[in-house]
Amino acid sequence: MARIRLQSVGKRYPNGFSALENLSLEIEDKAFVVLLGPSGCGKSTTLNLIAGLEDVTSGALYFDEQIMNVVPAHRRDVAMVFQSYALYPHKSVYENIAFGLRMRGHPAADIDRRVKDAARRLELEALLDRRPHQLSGGQRQRVALGRALVRQPAVFLMDEPLSNLDATLRIAMRAEIKQLHQTMQTTFVYVTHDQAEALTLADQIVVMRDGVIQQIGSPEEIYDRPRNTFVASFLGNPPINYLEGMLTEEGEALCFQRGSLSLVLPHALALRLKGQAGRSVKLGLRAEEVDEHSVPRPGETLHGRVSSVLPVGSDQYLGFEAEGKLLFFRVGRDLRHREGENVALSVNVNRLQIFDSGTGDSLLWSGNGA
Amino acid sequence: MTALERAGHRVFLAAASVVFLAYVLAPVAWLASSSVQQEAEITSRPPHWIPQRPTPENFAAIFEAKEKQVTYENRRQGDPATGGYIPSTARNLMPAMWNSLIVAVAVVVLNLLVSVPAAYAMAKIRFIGRSASIYFMLITRVIPDIALVVPFFLFIRKLGLLDHLGSLVITYLAITVPFSVFILVSYFESLPDELDKAARIDGCSRLQTLLLVYVPLAVPSLVAVILFTFLTSWNEFLLALMFTQTPASQTMPIVVASFASDFTISFSFINAAGVLAVVPPVVLAIAFERYIVSGLTAGAVKG
Repeated sequence: MARIRLQSVGKRYPNGFSALENLSLEIEDKAFVVLLGPSGCGKSTTLNLIAGLEDVTSGALYFDEQIMNVVPAHRRDVAMVFQSYALYPHKSVYENIAFGLRMRGHPAADIDRRVKDAARRLELEALLDRRPHQLSGGQRQRVALGRALVRQPAVFLMDEPLSNLDATLRIAMRAEIKQLHQTMQTTFVYVTHDQAEALTLADQIVVMRDGVIQQIGSPEEIYDRPRNTFVASFLGNPPINYLEGMLTEEGEALCFQRGSLSLVLPHALALRLKGQAGRSVKLGLRAEEVDEHSVPRPGETLHGRVSSVLPVGSDQYLGFEAEGKLLFFRVGRDLRHREGENVALSVNVNRLQIFDSGTGDSLLWSGNGA
Repeated sequence: MTALERAGHRVFLAAASVVFLAYVLAPVAWLASSSVQQEAEITSRPPHWIPQRPTPENFAAIFEAKEKQVTYENRRQGDPATGGYIPSTARNLMPAMWNSLIVAVAVVVLNLLVSVPAAYAMAKIRFIGRSASIYFMLITRVIPDIALVVPFFLFIRKLGLLDHLGSLVITYLAITVPFSVFILVSYFESLPDELDKAARIDGCSRLQTLLLVYVPLAVPSLVAVILFTFLTSWNEFLLALMFTQTPASQTMPIVVASFASDFTISFSFINAAGVLAVVPPVVLAIAFERYIVSGLTAGAVKG
């Protein structure tokens, strides 16, 4: 079991490219932490550093209280699942799973018991004599999981393990991985660029960009209280909408003003924005935070024209022109809007996000998280 | 119409294959055929592809050759026209083949010991000057051997290895290692990096990763390297000519060439020696045939 601590870690490659800069992160024992970000954000590098596959250039990496910077990969008690599975093509499924135990000198009987146990758990028993190229993608994925879990490592690392699977299998494997974490009681660090995976799996999400951590928090925190526009944009489908405007004071109330649009901010938000009236800001409005059912009330209404309707099965996406901007909302499928119709949408003002229009930092939640 | 075209296509391919095969195999066939002919028959016109009076004499001479001092006076004792002439250095052929074999095997083994780890490092470990070192190794192969002969000679003399098999092993390694590394680097690079990572996570050191994961997967290209190295050493002439002076270290090509520089030349005998020279490479090729074919499908190996 291990708590992982990265202290001001930097990673610079011989060609001068700096993948990580001054990254500090603490991963609790038995936590399920997801590193989330676009490609090139340094999340896989972070994982490789934890695994010992790459060397830390500066800073310190601890497992519990032990410094791990120069401990080679094969002496760290970690297991890893790769995006391409990386099964040994010349070994049978059985040998693929057993290899890590063999290399660590476990007795043969113990290896056999553990491999069969893992195979039973992952429904691979019938496939133990096969070679990887005789397996389907999902089966290979399970062998890769088996190879990792059979070792009962202190740290379980996963580098986009599901991104080569088709959509249905991916959902099923997500559930399996979640269950695996619960039964194994070990630390999981999981890298993905898929927000849905991050939101379903994680105890804690670490959003990264260009080698810098943007925010650390529970899925709810990350989704409801994004610290900046990058985090806000990265989660949500369709992505969050932005409107540039001004904070104004109208009597007691604090309002967001843009052209004819005026949204009255609820008391809880207004409190956090004390003294900010007159500031130009960026309003963040999540795609699902509008409602066409409720009767529009003054100060909570967005007027505009439907420019497109995109049904996506359970929901429909609404392209909506308001205040000279094209916004996208997710609404129920039973509502039949037509293109070109003028519609008034009621906005859930309690869920509005306010960002600085220059830096993109949240004016509401800049204090929380990391 | 299309069926006819297809048949025509097939006939054309078959005919082309036959022409190609004849072109490639005719010299070998003539070598084999003439090695059991007598000197008189070999020079007959038109040549006899199938010997009329086959004789084991040439081979017998190789295996039973006695020491014989040939002088100007006794040089006609074995008149080539009668087929009885055997070169004075005939008895050197078997020791020379043995020398060739020792050198070739030593070069193959040492070459693998050096080039496999070198190629793995260059393919899978990121270090400063990595691509520069690959190009540098290749550049050494652009220099023609003839330009290297004199420096090599001085170097070998300084080492005191003239007329010693070690001189050949050292210089052949210098010739074969860069190319072997190049073949292996491109093969190792084609194997996914994640395999390397997986092996190290599974508890392999770098060396174990190489031996337990990469080498088993690289068998086809290893076979290519073994064949290339063996044939290069087995056939090499120029350096062997410079560094070897006595039968103690002379290799097969040198001795066979010496048959042609005696007082008189027996072509049938030289051809018999040629047949023997072909045997080890052919045996090697047959032994590795399975892997050469599997090398063609090596692209199917995927993580």
